[in-house]
Amino acid sequence: MITLTDFLVVSAALFCIGLYMTVSKRNAIQILIGIELILNAAILNLVAYGKYDKVNNSGQIFALFAIVLAAATTAVALAIILNVYRRYKTIDPNDINKLKD
Amino acid sequence: MEDFLHSIQSLNYTVAAVALPLFAALINLCLPVKSKAAGWISTIAILLSCVLSARVFATVWNNPQVHAQRIWFTIGETQVYAGILLNNLSVLMLLLVSVIALPVHIYSTAYMKHDDRYSRYFTYLSFFCFSMLALVVVDSLILFYAFWELVGFSSYLLIGFWFTKDKAIQANKKAFIMNRIGDIGLLSAIIILFAQFHTFDIDTIFAGKGLIAQSVIKNGLWIGPVGQIPALWQYVACAGIFLAVAAKSAQFPLHTWLPDAMEGPTSVSALIHAATMVAAGVFLLGRVYPMFTETELTILACIGCFTAFMAATIALTQNDLKRILAYSTISQLGFMILAMGVRAYASSLFHLATHAFFKCLLFLVAGIVIHQMQHIKDDNQLDIDPQDITHMGGLRKKLPITFIAAVIGAVALVGLPFTSGYLSKDGILIQAFDWGERQNGWLKIVPVTALLTSLLTAFYVSRLIFKVFFGELRLLKTNPDIKLHLSDGGWQYKLPLVLLAVCCLFPVFSFNPFYFEHAWLYIGLAHPHFPKLESSYHTIIPRVVTILNLLVLLEAYRMYVQAKRFKFSQNNFFYRLSYNQWYIDNLYKRAIVNPVLRLGSVCFWIDRTVVDGFLQLLARISGAIAKLAAWTDEYIVDGFLHLLAAIVQSIGNFARKFQSGKVQYYLFSMLVIVLLLFILKILI
Repeated sequence: MITLTDFLVVSAALFCIGLYMTVSKRNAIQILIGIELILNAAILNLVAYGKYDKVNNSGQIFALFAIVLAAATTAVALAIILNVYRRYKTIDPNDINKLKD
Repeated sequence: MEDFLHSIQSLNYTVAAVALPLFAALINLCLPVKSKAAGWISTIAILLSCVLSARVFATVWNNPQVHAQRIWFTIGETQVYAGILLNNLSVLMLLLVSVIALPVHIYSTAYMKHDDRYSRYFTYLSFFCFSMLALVVVDSLILFYAFWELVGFSSYLLIGFWFTKDKAIQANKKAFIMNRIGDIGLLSAIIILFAQFHTFDIDTIFAGKGLIAQSVIKNGLWIGPVGQIPALWQYVACAGIFLAVAAKSAQFPLHTWLPDAMEGPTSVSALIHAATMVAAGVFLLGRVYPMFTETELTILACIGCFTAFMAATIALTQNDLKRILAYSTISQLGFMILAMGVRAYASSLFHLATHAFFKCLLFLVAGIVIHQMQHIKDDNQLDIDPQDITHMGGLRKKLPITFIAAVIGAVALVGLPFTSGYLSKDGILIQAFDWGERQNGWLKIVPVTALLTSLLTAFYVSRLIFKVFFGELRLLKTNPDIKLHLSDGGWQYKLPLVLLAVCCLFPVFSFNPFYFEHAWLYIGLAHPHFPKLESSYHTIIPRVVTILNLLVLLEAYRMYVQAKRFKFSQNNFFYRLSYNQWYIDNLYKRAIVNPVLRLGSVCFWIDRTVVDGFLQLLARISGAIAKLAAWTDEYIVDGFLHLLAAIVQSIGNFARKFQSGKVQYYLFSMLVIVLLLFILKILI
């Protein structure tokens, strides 16, 4: 029997991996993947807790909603990365430090 | 009324006579140092003083005394008067000093001709004359003390006149210090007299029926008309006076400065250290004479006698021309003190007057001789001491007038008949024997010693004369090829000699050459209450002394001129004692000077190491404290600030790191902070 704890453990693992990727990777695309992993961990939690909701399947529906929004944000993020590449000829976030000002 | 006018006139003349040399000194002080006018200004001033003194003398001598004073200042209830007291004693001294000073001034104009500080010399000389003339006429003990100091001071200036000579500096220091000892005595005597009589007036205290005459010493108290103090103070006052006399008149034990004082110019020695200033001590005795008791006078007589004898024995063997004369002066001053001691008051002052003339004359002669020897030395580039009589001899043909003057002076000093010295010295001897008759025990030695001293005088004077003026010039034996250009010198040399030589003869003092009682000077000074002499000594002593003197002269002539007799051994104890001046200087050097110098160096050491050391220690301590403070300031105060700055800086640096511009870093930071917040939340 798969308990809520199992879901939470997987979700936590996913969150940690995503977080680690976001912080440590040298490639903007990989960071973006890390962010997606974090989002997926959150969505997994949403689905897992949805079981305890008064309304049936509201969690799943909210998760779908979130996945759509995540796709949208990813598209925007990819566009930003593309623009960054155009401007700096690199997508290594360490080299892009103009935010310092 | 006429008397009154006379006295006013006398006072005016006296003031003028005293002030003229002072004006001369002041004018000379303004002249350039080499100005030849100085000599004439001083000489004219002293000539006028001399004339005025003679007028005063003629008016006052053997007339009632003239005494004028006015209030000088008032302290509390005490009024201090200052004024002039003219009696026989003071007018005699006034005349004597100015008359002696005149030839010395004339002589000095020639003698000091080539000196670089000609006008300074006359400034000092005039200043001395002023002080000395004032000293003899003032009526207040305070003024007396002031002028007493001033004559000492001018003497100091003149002894050290050639201040480039080290010996002269030593001599004037010695004279000054010795005189300070006497000054302390005089000052304490004055203080005691004031405490007893509440006045400084010499006339009130010492006059015939003055306060002293009304005082008695009874039951250990000195009872005066205005108060009484323990008798001890009377003795202290007399001792103080004696100390002053001993220092000024060069009596044992304070006599050693006078021979050294001969480092000054010879004309100065003649005026100050033979004729006038050194007689000031005797004059002081004359002024305060009534205060001495019988015992004190006896002590005075003994000391005078001892000094006379000692100085005469020293004079026997000295080779320095001026030193012989200096010791002779000490010896003659001893005679005067002796005379004071044996109550021969008038004889003492009579001898003072006659001695002033013949000793001044002898010094001027010595000056000429030394001057000529110096010429020989300079002309021939010899290395000799121009004052050493062993180089001289045979000068009588070269310096005829000087020779005659010297012989007259010497004969007067020896006291042969027809001279002034005969009158005064026999007076002293006769009265000394008369006094000795009335004493008992060992005091009878005193007159005999005086007689012996008189014979010693004859011997050393004849030795001096024979060695200098007779025989052949000994310098020629050792240096046969030297050239001699000797002469008596100009009228400035001859005139003073003639003047003084005339004054050494008997007619100046008495028309009867054999009886000192007939001398006008003696009659004028003799106190009516002193006993008349009617003893057999009066006839015996002069003859015996004259015969013995002649014998001694003959012996000396045979010894030094004919060189027939044996010479004294120069190795025995007595010769060495005499030659080394009784070792008194050595004794003082060992007993006083060296310990004082040692004390001085100890004090210096203490000053250097202890006092200075303490200060240096303080300095070092404050230096260390300052360094500590600097260290604290630098490392603690500044350090604290630096620490603050460093902390702020490091915090800043730390915070800055987060602003690296790297997105991941921002994210990581946020993560850490959120985690920290959660951890904190759990912990708290």
